[in-house]
Amino acid sequence: MSERVILCIGTKKGLFVAESATKRDSFSLRGPFGSGVAVYTALIDLRDEPLIYASSCNAFFGMKILRSTDIGKEFSETQSAPAFPQEDGRALANIWALEAGNDSTELWCGVEPAALFRSYDGGDSWELVPGISNHKHARQWEPGGGGLCLHTILCNQNRMHLGISTGGHYLSEDGGETFAASNRGIGAGFLPDPYPEFGQCVHKIASHPDASGRLYMQNHGGWPERPGIGVLRSDDYGHTWRSIADGLPSDFGLPIVTHPHAPDTVYVMPLETSTRTCPGGAPAVWRSESGGGSWQRLGRGLPGRQSYFTVLRDAMAFDELAVPALYFGTTTGQLWIGRDGGEEWSCLFDSLPPINCVKVAVV
Amino acid sequence: MQIPSALCNYAGCGSELALEAATVGMALVQLKQSNDSLYRSICDETGAVRRHVNLFVNSANIRDLAAFDTRLQPGDVIIVLPAVSGGSTCPNA
Repeated sequence: MSERVILCIGTKKGLFVAESATKRDSFSLRGPFGSGVAVYTALIDLRDEPLIYASSCNAFFGMKILRSTDIGKEFSETQSAPAFPQEDGRALANIWALEAGNDSTELWCGVEPAALFRSYDGGDSWELVPGISNHKHARQWEPGGGGLCLHTILCNQNRMHLGISTGGHYLSEDGGETFAASNRGIGAGFLPDPYPEFGQCVHKIASHPDASGRLYMQNHGGWPERPGIGVLRSDDYGHTWRSIADGLPSDFGLPIVTHPHAPDTVYVMPLETSTRTCPGGAPAVWRSESGGGSWQRLGRGLPGRQSYFTVLRDAMAFDELAVPALYFGTTTGQLWIGRDGGEEWSCLFDSLPPINCVKVAVV
Repeated sequence: MQIPSALCNYAGCGSELALEAATVGMALVQLKQSNDSLYRSICDETGAVRRHVNLFVNSANIRDLAAFDTRLQPGDVIIVLPAVSGGSTCPNA
């Protein structure tokens, strides 16, 4: 069978799966799976036979992990979802991140309240990862606007980067056994100490497989008294960070992604701080091809006015075709495709439920 | 125990369940042993009733009675109902 582009679109009312030939002229849509229940994260796992995982976060009756073995035609529940030990005292409120681990059945899961779980059997059983979940800082973290969530998990062999809102960036260099706060250069506009040891409201972190040690971060910016703390870069595996926000219309935003074939090329979606919507009602993705040295507005095809959506932290993603497309979903239920790396935008779906996350793979 | 249809669909269970227990708490322990999936949909991992779920014994909410210590008589019905919760603070609204 020829290659297909698969989009997983996690919404407030369930998971949708869109599929297209690699020309990406038109996408068919199926779903919703887990109908009526919010999906905050999904994972298209290509390590072996393709699997799709999605969180299904029912505010009434609890959390599930859904799994598909047929590229999103049907989903069934895994045997269990992450759960805190009873004596811990915390109760799972949401599932924010699912990521593939080092071997073919290892999964990592970030949750609210901020904690990390690990599965060795493809999501059928889960164990709490104490190195971060019971970290000495853990009971001092505070919830951000989205809740106290562990939303970013970046794995590269024994090195792991976690993003916690509001906890900051935590780094493990021993495969997730121990973690240390690693926030030098990451600011916080809502604390008296502008550069605390931990407690920053990190929104998202991105890496690139071809740029060893390079990380990009969308932090909670938009503070007039502390300009430039919103968009950051590290070149030493996250030990220190520096601002790359110069040239952006706002350093507030939620997602940040890298170009799949160019580690110096990074994308953000600046939002007005006060409203968390598109500046001036005219949405645009901003791209830097110089690792944050300068920025270019990519708005061709997007509405020029009267458009006030938000793009959430996990709602922007690239496919990995030779000429890749960038996708983002909005809180107003639109799914946009930016062909040729975001040069030209068009709307694929106009009336989905509010979109929480977008994941893409070529299968 | 009466289970609402929304939970029947979610937990894959029937709408009624017969239990023999002296208190609501003991009924939930019995439920945990017989149908852990349904129990976990009613109670979180700390053992508390989920935030957006209410348990009634006949027509009274157990929070207005003796909570898990509420005593049961033969023929009493524990009714599980999702709360009328919504708006911006409810993630599934």
